[in-house]
Parts: sequence; C-alpha cells; structure tokens
Amino acid sequence: MNAVVLVILVPFLTAIGTALLHDRPRAESALNAVSCLGLTAFVFWLLAKVDADGPQVSMMGGYAAPYGIAFVADRLSCIMLCLSMAVASVVALYVPSTVTPLQQAHFFHPLFQVLLLGVNWSFITGDLFNLFVSYEVMLIGSYGVMMCGSSRQQVRQTLTYVAINLLGGALFVVGLGLVYSIVGTLNMADIAVVTSRLSGPRAGMLTAASMVLLAVFALKAGAFPLFFWLPDSYPIVPLGVNGFFAGLLTKVGIYSLLRVFVMTFRQPGNEFALGILLVASAFTMVVGVLGALCQWEIRRVLSWHIVSQVGYMVMGIGLAADAGIATAAIAATIFYVVHHIVVKASLFLVGGIAEEISGSGRLKEMGGVALAAPGAAVLFFVAALSLAGMPPFSGFLAKLVLVRTALQGSHFWIVAAAVATSFLTLLSMMKIWSHAFWGGWHDAPPRPLWRRMAAPASVLVAATVVLGLWAQPFLRLASDAAKGVVDPVDYVHAVLGPEARLATRAEVARLEPVTFAAEDRP
Amino acid sequence: MELPLAIAIALLFAGGAYSILRPNFFRIVVGFGLLSNAVNLLMILCGGFRSQAAAPFVADPHRVDGLMDPIPPDIILTAIVISFAVGALFLTLCYVVYREYGTDDPEALPVREPEDWAGGPARGAGLPRYEE
Repeated sequence: MNAVVLVILVPFLTAIGTALLHDRPRAESALNAVSCLGLTAFVFWLLAKVDADGPQVSMMGGYAAPYGIAFVADRLSCIMLCLSMAVASVVALYVPSTVTPLQQAHFFHPLFQVLLLGVNWSFITGDLFNLFVSYEVMLIGSYGVMMCGSSRQQVRQTLTYVAINLLGGALFVVGLGLVYSIVGTLNMADIAVVTSRLSGPRAGMLTAASMVLLAVFALKAGAFPLFFWLPDSYPIVPLGVNGFFAGLLTKVGIYSLLRVFVMTFRQPGNEFALGILLVASAFTMVVGVLGALCQWEIRRVLSWHIVSQVGYMVMGIGLAADAGIATAAIAATIFYVVHHIVVKASLFLVGGIAEEISGSGRLKEMGGVALAAPGAAVLFFVAALSLAGMPPFSGFLAKLVLVRTALQGSHFWIVAAAVATSFLTLLSMMKIWSHAFWGGWHDAPPRPLWRRMAAPASVLVAATVVLGLWAQPFLRLASDAAKGVVDPVDYVHAVLGPEARLATRAEVARLEPVTFAAEDRP
Repeated sequence: MELPLAIAIALLFAGGAYSILRPNFFRIVVGFGLLSNAVNLLMILCGGFRSQAAAPFVADPHRVDGLMDPIPPDIILTAIVISFAVGALFLTLCYVVYREYGTDDPEALPVREPEDWAGGPARGAGLPRYEE
C-alpha cells in the first residue's frame, strides 16, 4: 500500500509550500495547521487499518524487499505516528499566538515541517540506513527551529547541540557499518530473520557491534549517562514548538531502541544490551528528578523531567531482557510512551501559557497565575499530577503497569527507584505549582492571548484524562503492538513475503511467552 | 590491504577525538572532519574491501562473485553529503559564537546569560545583533 509514504510526503510538500508563502504569514501558518490536521486524520485512519489488516508495506521504486527501501507501518509505527501528528497539530494551532515576526522571518514554519518530516520518517522506515538519514533530517529541522529568533543564547546552545549530534551521527554510521559487516543486510525484517538464527562468535560480535548503536540511541533518548545535553538545549527552543521537542524528539530514541534492540537484534546475548539499559534507567530516573528539584526556571524543571521520565521507558525496555515478561514489559513501555508524549507536551504548552501570563520564566519572579488565569492552572494541575503518577490520570496507570511487570520479574530494586522518583516528581511539580500558580497576582491584567493558547493545550490535557479513565482499548492496542515487536512474525511476512521464517523467542528459548493481555482481562 | 586501512582509520579516529577535545572552535571543526572521514573509511572496510574486486556492473546475472559490494559506497556517499552540510552549519555557528562572544574557547563562554533569559529567550526581544 503506497499511501504509507504520505506521512513523509505531506510534511515535505508543506515545508516547500510554507516557504513559498513566506511573505504572507497568516496564509503560511494556516497552511501549516491545515496540513498537520489533515495528516493527523490520515494517520488515525492508517492505525485503524493496520490494526485490522496487519502491517502495511511500501517498497520504494518497486525493488524487492531486502534490496529496496522499505517503509513499513505496523502497530507501533502507527501509534507513534498518531502521537507525533496529534502533538504537531496541537502545536500548529498553538504557535500562531506565540511565534514572533522575527521567528517567522527565520523560516519557522518550513523548519517545523522539516522536523516533522524527519520524525515521521524515522517512525515509518523499515531499514537501518534510512533510520540514520531520518535522524539527520530531523536534526537539521531541529537545529533550525532551535535557532529561530537567533538570540545569543540560542545560537550558543545550538552549537553544543549540533556538536553532540555530529558525534552521534558519526557513531551511528560506525554502528551501521559494523552491523552490516556481520549480518550483510540493513533491512530490519531481514536482520531479524538472520539474527534469530545467529549463534556462536558471530552472535557475540553482533552484540559487541550493537553497543555502538546502543550508545547512539541512548544519546538521542537522553538516557544516563548521555543526557547532559538535554536540559541545556530544550529551554531555548521557541515557545510552543518546545512541546513538540519535549514530547517527540527523545521518544524517537526510545522508539529506535524498541525497534532495533527488541525487534531487530534477536541473537543470543542481546539481553546484555537490555541489561545495561535496565541499570542505566535507574540512574536516569533518579538523576533526572534530582536535577529537576534544584532548578528555578519552569522550562528547566520540565526539561530535567524529560530525562527522569525517559528512565521509566528505558526501564521497560530493559525489563524485556527477561523472556518471561518481555511482552508485558514492552506493552507497558508503549503505553508509557503514549502517556508521556501527551503529558509532557501539554506541560510545556501550559508552562508556556504561565510564562506568557507572568512575563517571566523564572519561578521566583512568577506567581498568581491561578488567580489571573484559573483555566490554565487547572490544565497544569491535571498534567502535573498525571506526570507524577496520581490516579485517575494516565500517569498512574502507566506506572502501575510498568511497576507490576517489574515485580513479576522480581526486579525489586528498580521498582524502589521508580516509586521514589515518582514521589520526587510530585515534589518538584508542587514547587512549580506553589511558585508560579499560587501567590498574589502582582500587576497588570494578563495578556489576553493566553486563551487562544490554552484551547489547543486543553486537548492534550483531556487526552491524559481519557487515557486514565478509559484505558482498556489503549492497553489492548499497546499489548498487540508489543507482541508485534517482541515476535514480529507479521512484520517479517509483510516485508519479506510469506516464505520468510523467523525463529520466535519462544522457539529459541523453549518458553511459553507470558502475555500481558491474557492476564489483564477480567 | 586491510591492515594499512585499519591503521589509517585508527589514526583518523584518534586525531579526530583529540581535536574535538581541544578548547578551540576551529580545532573542534577540524576534529569532526577527521572523524567523518574515519567513519567513511571504516564503512569501506566493513563492506568487505578487497583490492582485486571489480566494480559492480553485472554483465552476466549468474556470475556476481569477485564484484565489490555496492551498498557501503552508497552509504558513504550519503554520509559525506550529510556531514558536509552539517559541518558547514557547525562552522557557521562557531563563527557566530566567536563574533558574539569574542572568544574561540568554549570554556571561556559565560555559564548562563540572565539578561537574555527573562520571559524566556525565545519570547525575548530577538536580539538585533545578528544582522549587521
């Protein structure tokens, strides 16, 4: 089905279109929003189709599978695409109120579409090399968006960000080369088939080579100890689009870990990589939240929380090393990703409203937002409690599922870290709440623009409530998507044809897989 | 042929890593250049480089042994284009930072810039220094 390509073609054409409309700002931002909304409708339709009919594949130029470039939409891809486009639509409706004429003159909208192009591409690609190219496209878009407005601070932080990612890109190619020299293919489905039968020294070599890719993805995801670039870079991203950065960019790293380290690399010994991730996740959670506690700017607190939250998702991936709980752990991770993207993006957008109202991003200069704009305060309150994991919002359920899976696998120490982090998250959210939202409102009436910013943000906040209260369909979807990642039989057949034979984990380990959904349904 | 190539890759990696760690923007730029070339050479080696291999033009589809694998050069070509573009951007950024701060030492840059920060940098005045 060639319509899969639309998810990258539409942002590409929109980037050109918005660049051509550069002299007419209103038309430009209207085109931006319409394109995002249209593509959102398409990806939700695609998710429904993939859920019913199995993975959809599009081979570029009609070349046969392991040789040509494959674009594959399976459940996990579609879930990520839906989140990416939903957040992009919300951001596209939010930014007309925040983007300055200078930012618009610096091609804000075309660069945002390039960013979107890279993100969607990385979710849809079925081959490792294209994953590298999509990373670079996404990064080039993100460099541009980050520098929009060109203050000194922005240029300088972007310099660090570019340097880190140049290093990441170089290591990515090293990893690709090493993996290619061992398995002789770059198509993910093909690698999965080859590695599921790999054994002996070649399996060990592949595990060693995959460490390079592990470092690249961990760098992109912001996992310990490769998170240091994140809390400095994200606060300088222009208001509004920082919700997209916070929600999606690190999650591209998480998605790559899921896709490559859980689905694609299946050789014996791959548990070693996942074990590293499990240990790193504990440090990521704790260090991230401690960093958040000692910050005094709203964006910095929220940026450190991205690091801390990435820890939970990496923890789920790490738990997959245990074959008995692999599917449940991946399902919990996918649900956590859904929850996190929605909540993190909404926190950044609502935090932006609080900044807009009080005219400052420093907590010590803010105050009284709850008096000036009660609606914004309610939005922040719900999103913050959801981030900390309070019922009845999605954060509670996401953490519950994750922690329960860890307990099934008897990983008690990681549960202790996760629960402690959750409490500290609540503490630092209370810090924002008491400094920015409580207190007396000091001077002039708030700028009226905030209502137009709050309307799109409230969609995301509503989503976290829905995810918490009506979770069963989403958990079912996450569980099915996890099965497709842990044992991608349908994926391999869709890409390579029905004669391809993938050795499933159960066949390899002679174990009956414990499924998440079978236990969870009453 | 593999050993000299491996030594060259090692030297380029070592030189690149050393240059990137120098406290000087220009050396960092050069370091990334060395690093990307090291990566490209590594890619050639990973593709099973042999000095006798023929170019992959297939005259007889039933006889393909003795041909060079075309995929690694393909990847290298893409990687060169990308590293060139991003390298150019990086060099520009280094120049802008040098002009703004008057130093080419990353360690000498101030840790925070509170004056740019009030109200969030992106909402800030959008400092006009950038265009001259």
